[in-house]
Amino acid sequence: MDESTLIARVRAGDSAAERALYDAHVDRVYRLAFRLAGDDALAQDFTQETFIRAFDRLGSFRGDAAFSTWLHTITTTVVLNGLRKVKRFRQREADIDDAHDIGVAQRHAEPDLKVRLKQAIDALPEGYRTVFLLHDVEGYTHEEIGAALGVETGTSKAQLSRARAKLRVALSDFAGEWIA
Amino acid sequence: MMDQHEDPKFEQWLKGAAKSYHSPLPTPREEIWNEGARRNKRVIELRPWLRWAVAAAAVLVLGIGIGRWSANLASSRATASTAAAGRRIPNEIDSLASVAYQIAATQYLSRTEAFLTSFRADANRSASTARLARQARDLLTTTQLMLDSPAADNPRLRSLLEDLELVLMQISQLNPVQDGHDRDLINQGMNQSNVLPKLRSAIPAGPVPVRTEGAL
Repeated sequence: MDESTLIARVRAGDSAAERALYDAHVDRVYRLAFRLAGDDALAQDFTQETFIRAFDRLGSFRGDAAFSTWLHTITTTVVLNGLRKVKRFRQREADIDDAHDIGVAQRHAEPDLKVRLKQAIDALPEGYRTVFLLHDVEGYTHEEIGAALGVETGTSKAQLSRARAKLRVALSDFAGEWIA
Repeated sequence: MMDQHEDPKFEQWLKGAAKSYHSPLPTPREEIWNEGARRNKRVIELRPWLRWAVAAAAVLVLGIGIGRWSANLASSRATASTAAAGRRIPNEIDSLASVAYQIAATQYLSRTEAFLTSFRADANRSASTARLARQARDLLTTTQLMLDSPAADNPRLRSLLEDLELVLMQISQLNPVQDGHDRDLINQGMNQSNVLPKLRSAIPAGPVPVRTEGAL
């Protein structure tokens, strides 16, 4: 059964078609949610929320773009909004932790490359980080990213370039890795 | 021509190295589907209640409207036209629908206050993490419905609902292994943001029949 028939059947209330549509797309949605959130429980919540919203709003899907593009737009919206809320909450916790740590001497071991890379990606501004992960890690095209984030293709390209430049500076201690 | 900032070797290396960043686990398809179905069921269970409340309010207003209209006809007042009564009815339906949403919001806030008070007071951790997480998830669903309802048109209530959404999300994800530490952090966060005082001040004075229903 092709996807447009499946979508028509979901609109008509066919729950088996709903499950089939979910099965066809859940891996990519969960993968994207996990890549952006880095947490299984959050990724599951975001995936679930994405499908609930998608099925609720399927009537507004006109078919101008591919269903997967439309679904990934919902996914990125759900994940980025959800992460902002979680970040607000974690910031409060971090403030409390910082207050408790006052006066305690800190010793940091030299982190390895994997840790430094994670820190550098986490430190990117949200827009840069999202574009970098979608393009360089998940393999989305700039057109797909533009559609998902509601930005011009040129903006996506510019953000990717800036993200890479920031990462190169942040990881300059490890330059031997890529020069070799 | 290559941009001076481009470094193909670095970019190639970065693409490979970054694959390890938040490397996804296998998709838990069934868990996500089942939880989504459970949440949907919950929404379906709640929505008819809200619809019935609004429908009951609408019937009441129609009754009042028809009564006034008949009275006006009986007294033969020329100025009380059918059109005027017709215009008044939708306004009064809107007004009573808004009251229905306010009642729903008050009941929800009372349940949430009872739950969070009990959560904070449970210093000896006698309540099981699973039970707390389940109750928080139930209230979280209602919070999200409230955020999508006209009740959230009030900026103060919306801000409070957003704070509650965060707290309930955190409780719903309590980890049984690090339970004590997590609960302390949640309590400290609640104290810092004054969620409970704000919640209490948002609940109108007077008896709330469902204060102890639902979550507790």
